[in-house]
This record gives sequence, structure tokens and C-alpha cells, in this order.
Amino acid sequence: MTQNASIVEDLRLRFPGTSFDPQSTRDDVPTVWVPSGKVRDVLRYLKNEVLRPYKMLFDLTAVDERCRADRPAQATGDFSVVYHLLSLDRNSDIRVKTSLDGDAPSLATITNLWPCADWYEREVWDMFGIGFEGHSNLRRILMPPTWEGHPLRKDHPARATEMGPFQLPDEKQAVEEEALRFRPEEWGMKRESENSDFMFLNLGPQHPGTHGVLRVVLQLDGERIVDAVADIGYHHRGAEKMGERQTWHTYIPYTDRIDYLGGVLNNMPYVLAIEKLAGIAVPDRAQVIRVMMCELFRIASHLVWFGTFAQDIGQMSPVFFAFNDRERILEIVQAFCGARMHPSWFRIGGVAQDLPNGWDRLVRGFLDYMPSRLAEYDKMVMQNAIVKARTVGIGDYTADEAIEWGVTGPGLRACGVEWDFRKKRPYSGYERFQFDIPTAQHGDCYDRSVVRVEEMRQSLRIVEQCLKNMPSGPYKSDHPLAMPPVKDRTMHDIETLITHFLGVTWGPVIPAGEAAVIAEASKGANAYYLISDGGTNSYRTRIRAPSFPHLQMLPKISRGFMTADILAILACIDFVLADVDR
Amino acid sequence: MTVIFYLSAIIAVAATFLAITRTNAVHALLYLAVSLLAVAMVLFTLGAPFAAALEIVIYAGAIVVLFVFVVMMLNQGTATIRRERAYLTPSMWIVPGLLTLVLFAELVCVVAWVPEAAGAPAEAIGPKAVGMALFGPYAIAVEMASLLLLAGLIGAFHLGRRDEE
Amino acid sequence: MREIVFHLLVVVCVLGGTLSMAGALIWLERRLLALWQDRYGPNRVGPFGLFQPVADAIKIFTKEDWIPPFADRAVFVAAPAVIVVTVLMSFAVVPFAPGVWVADLNVGLLFLFGMSSLGAYSLILAGWASNNKYSLIGGLRAAAQTISYEVFMGLSLMGVVMLAGSFSLRAIVEAQQGVWFCVTQFPALVVFLIAGLAETHRLPFDMPEAESELVAGFHSEYSGMKFGMFFVGEYLAITLLSALATVLFFGGWLGPVLPPLVWFVLKTGALICGIILLRASLPRLRFDQLMSLGWKILLPVALLNIVVTGAIALLGK
Repeated sequence: MTQNASIVEDLRLRFPGTSFDPQSTRDDVPTVWVPSGKVRDVLRYLKNEVLRPYKMLFDLTAVDERCRADRPAQATGDFSVVYHLLSLDRNSDIRVKTSLDGDAPSLATITNLWPCADWYEREVWDMFGIGFEGHSNLRRILMPPTWEGHPLRKDHPARATEMGPFQLPDEKQAVEEEALRFRPEEWGMKRESENSDFMFLNLGPQHPGTHGVLRVVLQLDGERIVDAVADIGYHHRGAEKMGERQTWHTYIPYTDRIDYLGGVLNNMPYVLAIEKLAGIAVPDRAQVIRVMMCELFRIASHLVWFGTFAQDIGQMSPVFFAFNDRERILEIVQAFCGARMHPSWFRIGGVAQDLPNGWDRLVRGFLDYMPSRLAEYDKMVMQNAIVKARTVGIGDYTADEAIEWGVTGPGLRACGVEWDFRKKRPYSGYERFQFDIPTAQHGDCYDRSVVRVEEMRQSLRIVEQCLKNMPSGPYKSDHPLAMPPVKDRTMHDIETLITHFLGVTWGPVIPAGEAAVIAEASKGANAYYLISDGGTNSYRTRIRAPSFPHLQMLPKISRGFMTADILAILACIDFVLADVDR
Repeated sequence: MTVIFYLSAIIAVAATFLAITRTNAVHALLYLAVSLLAVAMVLFTLGAPFAAALEIVIYAGAIVVLFVFVVMMLNQGTATIRRERAYLTPSMWIVPGLLTLVLFAELVCVVAWVPEAAGAPAEAIGPKAVGMALFGPYAIAVEMASLLLLAGLIGAFHLGRRDEE
Repeated sequence: MREIVFHLLVVVCVLGGTLSMAGALIWLERRLLALWQDRYGPNRVGPFGLFQPVADAIKIFTKEDWIPPFADRAVFVAAPAVIVVTVLMSFAVVPFAPGVWVADLNVGLLFLFGMSSLGAYSLILAGWASNNKYSLIGGLRAAAQTISYEVFMGLSLMGVVMLAGSFSLRAIVEAQQGVWFCVTQFPALVVFLIAGLAETHRLPFDMPEAESELVAGFHSEYSGMKFGMFFVGEYLAITLLSALATVLFFGGWLGPVLPPLVWFVLKTGALICGIILLRASLPRLRFDQLMSLGWKILLPVALLNIVVTGAIALLGK
């Protein structure tokens, strides 16, 4: 808390005469409100001038405050823009908020401070209609260019049934198709240079190498990449909008589908954030079960990456081996949860069910099986001379660039930054486990791969510790807001029955407040920033997905390489389009 | 053998004519390849299998492929085709055509009045004979040609090299 | 008269044999890959899935034969035929056993080079005629790749020609009565196999059709039997490559006890399996790496091999 107070003090000293209204939040991240004109200066100070600076723009989003009943006193306007900065030196965050008025509010851009603000600002423009003065390319990013309205505004309908029947007359189709026409100038590309005409290659959205509906427009000089621009949004499902519509409890299955390879890794930050808002303490057994499931899914997700990575550089077999091994994990998950890829297994206050009898045999079997397979893959892929030739020195970035661009997870660790939220800010009892943070030095495709392969081994270590030290006790908290309510407590009298009935039908009423929780997902830092208005559903659900900033870095790390390299680079970013577009 | 010879010769002439008149560069090059293959057949029937094989390997198989490669790289559109078509007006081809006709007439004369010049070979000339000839009586010509090629290679390397910026 | 009948029989057998070999290879490759990749492979049609190629053929013949409206029709149709024709022509000079060959040309090896260089047209023209950028890049890569690797392939075999004293494949086999050329010409064998794989654009050299980058490269727009022709052409080319390696380096039909033709088939089969194993295990090189491998490593090795072999051959006289 002292540290929180001190940074606000620093700000007051540096900017006398400017009001820095602190707001208290449930997650104890120092949150200050700054007048909109001062935002850029404050952020510049926090990034460049303050001692032990906040180098990473972790998240940038907005809130439509117009319907909020429990609005903080500082939010005087219609919209708030939220900047979430992270300091690796301090291991602490700061949230800078500013309030904006009117139907077409605008704010100065910070793309000149952080290059990664580019996509974030476009997203805020797309979703809220908040303009950023000085942004060079403020176009829609997730919604189609012809979309009307800004979806995350409260007055935008959330369901198709509220929007009237969809029709596509010829004129409209013509307009839509015209909007798809490719004009290099709009993408910031030139058609020719002094001595050559460029070739534009449209990679995707249907392409075997893009791992989903990603479109990359390549500007090629021969086979050399002059520029590469990613076009995203093809997988956008309005997950954040759905968060405002579903109850706290019924939103859990949606989180599974954000990073669809991560399964319960997505549940983790979401339920943790709700538990923080509601003040629920999770019993030990539930915590360890959660950790074990998360680590199993981390291995599963990395295995998919591993197989497709090898596939993308032309190796045919590893993908079959990796999917076979993943199948073994999914069988364990199936035995525990009944579902495979999307178990939606975590609940507010615990997990859905206790582990089944004989669970330890299944996990033990996997732990005995997996290490020798990993050793084999090491020989087949990581030691392979052609793999090395294709990935060493390709798509590299430095640690400073990574932090600048908001890279987290294996991509950050591959440039030598020993940063893992499980270690640095332990949640769900990670502090009780022994594991190392694998790092590498060069930040190229090969090093990112090395880090991920080693992470699988570390995850196996954690799973083994879970297996050996599984505590006994309840698998769910008995807090009244823990969902679904424990059945044993209902059948006593009418009051308990009514409480149970309300809990099951409407779901819990989470106390008003704000909280963000960052968890280390398989792709990087996955954060849920939840605002409760004291209702049965969230007022604003912000999903800070790791793949979004990682993919944004694509042009920077692929310029100057060959066409074939971009596939290696894409594979080594390890993104999931659903995680990018949400 | 004679039938095959004349058939190949007709194909060669026809394909060459088509190669000249096509407006699409790739089509023209394809006819050129066909023409070269036909010439290879002609050589084969004349008893020079080695020369025929080299004709295919080097001309049809490598040089024309390179031409096609370059044409593909240039990726010319309809504008070039229109320009090509403009080139094919009589005023463009009539003079070279007449000159070639004179050459053709001379050739006919040579073939008609000097019969031993076009006589069929006594036997097929194999690779060994060609090699002996090249490195025997014609050694100096081979050396000079190889020097010329070396010079060409070095020149191409020099021109193609990109200066480090 | 009997000789003419025998000769015709050989021609028919070679044509039928190689074409059905292509079908069998489709089955073999899928089964072997499956074996090495922990899965079953085709095992539903007939015993061990043996009739899978038949089912595939029925499917591919009855598929809609679609020519994209933006393609150059004539060239688009002709391109797949070129590869099958040139590869089949190449089999004409391969000696399978004593007396069993279609033609014993005294420039047999040169004829093979000629055919394989003409085969390059197929990919290039397919890539160009599809009028699709992926196909075009595939075609360009194919052109550069086949032209360069033809050089290394040709140079690598000059040592063999020197030792045998002939371009005729029959003479080359007969020259291996004592020691197979895979011993005396080992560097040539390595260069030849690498160049051969690059010529047949198989993994690790399948850049012209690299599916993760170029979708399907030069044949992206092809479907139905036109695609089937490329497919068959590729398997024929693998067979040809193995048969050639057998003839040039592994003594062709030579071998004890078993009949010559059996030896030939066994050796070729083993090489084919080796090529499939390579596909199961290796990743793909990048295009510029392929080029530098060729010009910086294979070319010097091949040239050195020629010089050394030539010197030894001269001294031997």
C-alpha cells in the first residue's frame, strides 16, 4: 500500500496543479483519475521519467459509464478510458483513468509513446467510438468496415433479435464487397519502389499456415517481405459484450472459448477476479486441483503449438505425435470433467466437482509417459539441423522491444526476461510449488520454441507435486456467493431453499467494485478486468488476451525475412485467433 | 527416317512461325520450345544423337525455361499484349521477312545444286566422336569459348551483385 | 518377328508396370507414413486398404473437372500432361534386366537429363497458367530449383560416365560387375540423391508446393484428374529416381541367386521406402537455403568428384 501511495505522491510532485484522484479498487492496483488533457504527459512521465518506470502498456480499454449505477465519483463523463501500465522493475501496476464527455469524445493518441497502443486504440475506437487525435490509422479493427455503431456502447444491441432481421439485398452486397477491395495505400503500403514493383500476397483468412481466420497482407519484393500487415477480426464473437449479458456464473463457459486451446487456463483469471470482488477464499484442495488442471492444459496447449510449429516448417510427423499426447491429456480431462477441450470446470469459489476415484492413477500414468516423449521430440525437432536453420535468428526482438510491445509469456522469457506471473505474483497457491522459469537469450523463433518445450517439463513437475501433495478437504468454498450453492445446505427450511433457488437461477449478486487479475496462460498474460455494478451480471468485462499484442508485433518482426519465414514467425508467436479477436 | 526428318522439319518451321506471331509471350516461348524439340529430332535423324540430346537439355530444357522464368517474373498484363499486336503490322515484319526469304532462296539453291552438302551421314556420330573432335582439332575453339563464357559469368556476377547499403 | 513381339511386350509391361507402381506407391506411402506416425493409415478398402488407390482413382476421375475462369485454358490443360509424359519417356532407357529395356540409347543418360529438364515445364506452366499468385510463386520456385539442381545432377553423374566409359545405362550397369559405383562414387551418389529429391520436389525440397506457405503451390488451382496427373507424375518421378539410383550406383539387376529382375525391383523398392522415410522425418528448407546448399556445397563436391575420378581414370590407363 505504501508503494501505491508513493507513486501517486510522485505524480502530484511532478504535476503540481493537476488533480490526481485516487480510486480504491478491489485488486489494490493504484488507480488515479487524470484530466483528459494531461493523460499523455502523465503516461510519458510514468514510462520514461519516473524512477523504476512502468515500461509496459499492459492494457488500454474503455468503459461506457452512462448506465452505471455505482459509478465512482471521479467518472464525471459518459466514457472512461483506462490505461493499465505494468512495471517489471517494481513488480507493480498502475491504472490511469480519464473521463470523457459527449457522443463523439476524443483523446490524444499515445501511439508515439507505445507502438502497441496502435491496435488498442483502434479497438477502443471500434468498440466505443472514442477517437484518438493523431492516430495515423484509426480504422475499425474487429468489426467489418461497414459496421454501424460501436458495439460495446450500452445502447448498442447485444443480441441479433434486438437488431431486426438480417437482409442482404444486392446493393448492400455490392457495398460490402467493395469494402473488401484491397488498396495498398489504405494499408500504408506503396505499390512500387525505385527499382521494383511490389507483389501483394494475401495470406488468409483461409490459408493452411495461419492457424485460423487471420489475414496477413504481405508486401513482397521477390520473396523478401517488405511489410506485413495483419488484418484481424474474422473470429470476433463479441465475448466482452456477452460478458455484460450473461450472469457471473454462466459466463464461465464463454471464457473457455477465448483461447480455445487453453481450456481452464481461461477460467482461472475470470473466477479469481470474481472471487476478489466477492472476497471469497478458495479452499486448498480446490486451489491445487485448479493448478493441476491449468498445468495439464498448459502442456496440451504447448503440444498443439509444438506440432503445428513443426508442421509449419514442413516437418510432417511431429503434429501426429503431439496430438496423440494431447489426446492423453484430454482423456484425463474427460475423466475429471466429462468435457475435453472446453471443460468450463472452475466455479466461483472452487471447482465444479471433486476429483473422481482413481484420478491419481491417470495422472501418474501420464507423468510416467510424457518425459520420454519430450526427450524424443527434442531429438527430432529441436536438435534438427534444418529446424535450426529455419528458426535461429528469424523473427527476433530484444527484451526492451518485447516490453515496449506488451509481449508476455514465453515470447518475453525468450529474450532473457525472467518474468512469470506464477512466480512474480503467485495466485491460487503457486507460491507453494517448486518450478523454474525457463528463459533463453536471443528472442528469435528458436528460443521461443526452446522456452515452450522447457515449460512443458516444468508443468510436468508442477503436476507431479500436485499429485503427491493433493490436500484433502472441500473442493468448493462455503461462502454464500460461491456458485453453484452447496446442495447440503438447502433442504432445511424455506429460507435456505429460496437462497439456493436464487443462487442457481439468477446466480450470485457480486458486490460493486472493480478488480483485474492477471494469470499466466499458455500464450502469455491473460487478464480479466471486471467491473461489478452490484448486480447479477458484470457491468464491463474486459478480456486482456495475450495473443492480441503478440500478433500486433508481426510486421515489426517479419520485415526483411522471406515468405517462408513468416510461417515460422507466425507459428512461434503461438497465437489463437479466438484469443486475438475475442 | 526420311519421313520423320521432313515431319520434324515442318513442325520446326511451323512452330517457329507461331512463336513469332503469338502476342502472348509465354505462348510464344512454348512454340519456341516445340521448335527446338523438332530441331533436336532433325539432328537425331541426321545421325547426331549427342547434338540432339544437348539441344534438348540445354536449349529446350534450360535456356527457354529461363526465358519463361523471366517472362513470368515480369508478369506482363494485357497492355503488353496489345503492344505486341501492334508490332505485327505488315510494315513491321515485311522487310525482315523479305530478307529472310532471300536467305531461304539461297538455302534452297545450295540444297538443290550442291547435293553432297546435304547428303545423309554414313553413320551416327556418338558422344565419344564429338568429344574427340572437340578436344582434338577444335581444342582452341573450345578453350576460347570457355574463356568467353567465364568472362560472361564474371560479368553477370558483377552486374547482379547488390551493393551492401 | 518374335523379337518385335517381345519388344512390344516390354513396352506394354513398362508402361503398365510404372503406372500401377504409381498407384501402389500411393498406398505404400500412406501406410508407411502412418506406421511411422503412430496411426493406422488407409485400412478400410480391401485387405490392408490395398484397394485404396482404386477408390482414389474412381473419386478423382468422377470429380468435377474445373478450370478456373481466369486461367489460361490451353496451357492449364497441357501442363499436367507434360510431367507424366516426360517421366514415362524416361523409363524407356532404364534397363530393368539383361535384355529387358525399351531402348538402349548410346546417349541414354543425356536423354534422361533432357526429359527431366522438360519435366520442369510442367510445374512452371501450371504455375503460370493458373493465374494465381501462390501458383506463380510455386512455378517460379520450381523453375529456379529444377534448373539449378539439373546442373548438379548432371555433374554428379559424370564420374559414373567416366568409369563406365559410356552414356548408355546398360553399359553402366555392366561396368559394375566388380564393385558397385555407390562405393567408388560415393560423393556422386549423395549429390545425385539430393539433386534427385530436389528435381522431384519432395520433402525436404518441396518448396514449389510447400503447403504451409503456398497452399499447394503450382497446383493450387488444379482438381480432379488434372491434379491426379501431378500426383501420379510425382510418384512416377520417385520410382524413376529410385530406379536410376539403382542402375547408376547399386549395380542395377546385378546380384547373386535371385533372378536379375527381382534384384532390380528389390533395390528400387528399398530406395523408394528410404525416400518416404525422409518425408516422414525432415522439415522443409527455405528457398534461399536450398539454393545456397546447391551452389555452395553440391556444386563444389560434384566438381571435385569429377576431377578426382578423371585423374584416377587417367592414371588407371
